[in-house]
Amino acid sequence: MNRLIIENLSAGYGAVSVFHDVSIEVTEGEFVALLGTNGNGKSTLLNCIMGFIKPTRGRIILEWDGKALDLTALPAHEIVRRGLSMVPEGRRLVPSLSVEDNLRLAGSNPVVRDRLSQNLEYCYQTFPLLRERKAQLAGTMSGGQQQLLAIARSLMGVPKIIVVDEPSVGLAPIVVSQVIEVIRTLQKDNNLTILMAEQSFLQAIDVASRAYVLAHGRIARNFDRSSGDIDHDDIRRALLGAA
Amino acid sequence: MTQFDLFMNVVATGVLLGSVYAAVALGLAITFGILHIPNIAHPALVIMGGYFVVHANRFGVDPLIAALVGLVPFYLLGMLLYSFYANTFERRGRADVLQSLTLFFGLSLVIEIILVLAYGSELKSLTAPYIGSSLRFGPLTIPSRLLVPAILGPATVGALWLYFRYTNSGTAIRAVAHDERALSIAGLDPAAIKRQAFGLATATAVIGGAALAMIGPIDPFSGRFQIGRVFAIVVLAGMGSIPGTLVVAIGLGIAETLIASYLNPAWSPGVAFAMLLGALALRPQGLFGTVR
Ligand SMILES: Nc1ncnc2c1ncn2[C@@H]1O[C@H](COP(=O)(O)OP(=O)(O)OP(=O)(O)O)[C@@H](O)[C@H]1O
Ligand SMILES: [Mg+2]
Repeated sequence: MNRLIIENLSAGYGAVSVFHDVSIEVTEGEFVALLGTNGNGKSTLLNCIMGFIKPTRGRIILEWDGKALDLTALPAHEIVRRGLSMVPEGRRLVPSLSVEDNLRLAGSNPVVRDRLSQNLEYCYQTFPLLRERKAQLAGTMSGGQQQLLAIARSLMGVPKIIVVDEPSVGLAPIVVSQVIEVIRTLQKDNNLTILMAEQSFLQAIDVASRAYVLAHGRIARNFDRSSGDIDHDDIRRALLGAA
Repeated sequence: MTQFDLFMNVVATGVLLGSVYAAVALGLAITFGILHIPNIAHPALVIMGGYFVVHANRFGVDPLIAALVGLVPFYLLGMLLYSFYANTFERRGRADVLQSLTLFFGLSLVIEIILVLAYGSELKSLTAPYIGSSLRFGPLTIPSRLLVPAILGPATVGALWLYFRYTNSGTAIRAVAHDERALSIAGLDPAAIKRQAFGLATATAVIGGAALAMIGPIDPFSGRFQIGRVFAIVVLAGMGSIPGTLVVAIGLGIAETLIASYLNPAWSPGVAFAMLLGALALRPQGLFGTVR
């Protein structure tokens, strides 16, 4: 079974610990939501998985095609090359580069650069808007358009798993729905594997097949759609850290 | 020669001189303007490049060929310097500006001492068929010893501009100036990209050095006179703008020759200084303040 395994992970900033003993799993083809209110450590956890923050304890293992890769000690760019890609909080586009250059950048690492033009074409087919605007500077696009570009960019690395951090931040509610819908369609049509952090859980829970709730630095609950409908009140209680 | 002809000649000389300044300043436009590393050793590296060309020239190698050949070892030297710098300073977060300045100041002293030990402290010059003659364009008389090096500046600017604009690694260097994490997300190693950029900057030092040595003889300390000038150019050009570097350098060249011809030659080194003060006024956070 192809999957990403987070085992007993703890991390923080200096002496301040943010989460402890977190264990989650993402299996190929799944859409997993990571829920939590403001400041509960969702971004810290995702950045830890991506190698931007080093965990103080625990392991991150990518089991794929019969091989188990330990990602725990790798720098971020090596983790990306092994098949994890990220749509980060705040998008982290290069505003002074054109749309196309932002995409090219992500498609030019040694693992995928042989297929750069095919991957670019795939992104443009998936997001025709980006083709129309390929020469526009990324920084001059609207927030929603930038979010689409950040999603398209994550595809340029031909990822096994896409880690999405709060795609809704800074967007108008109507745009949030559109962006989430885009991610859902993309996931379904291409059988992508997604781990997405969100605090506006109603929309996330609609599209996810499973969800973890992060509260007070621990995984407080997890929900699985296949074992019946997910009760929104149940999630609300978990988010607030009630047992 | 009429007053107007004289004026035209002065301006033409200024343009040529400014083009050479651009070749000298380009490396700093990359290290300081893009990577935010205050590499005050760049002028010393330029003079070292000049000596490389002078050395090859003794064996009859044309200065332009020598400069082309020199790109490779200087590129490698630059990568080595960056690795040293990054390992000593950038490991624990961002490097402290004062420490970096000290390192690069020390590096320029080391370079000067090596050059003195290897070549002595007297002036060295180049010989080539195009050094010594001059060309006439209507009322303009252009000495070739200025014309050939002046082509090097814009040629290097053009090549770098194309590189930054149309290659993947050039795009990555432009991105690293903005956000290292954006590179990591792209699966690119920010440290490797910065090392490459520093290598490139150091490679341009050979071209700048060849240009300076063609204009006139150099000694191991010639770089010192360029430090204020190149920093003024890079800051005024808008930190890392490659075409801007050329424009500002030419502006400075014209201003310097005008002042030298019509007022007092002794004042021309002060022009860069005045421009530097102007630059500081435009950039109140200080020359080494972080912009990010
Ligand atoms: N760079 C940092 N240095 C120190 N503390 C930090 C840093 N980044 C985040 N924190 C702290 O870590 C905790 C978790 O923050 P994190 O950004 O992971 O939360 P989050 O769940 O992503 O929140 P949000 O939904 O607002 O994005 C917070 O208390 C925050 O203040
Ligand atoms: Mg967050």
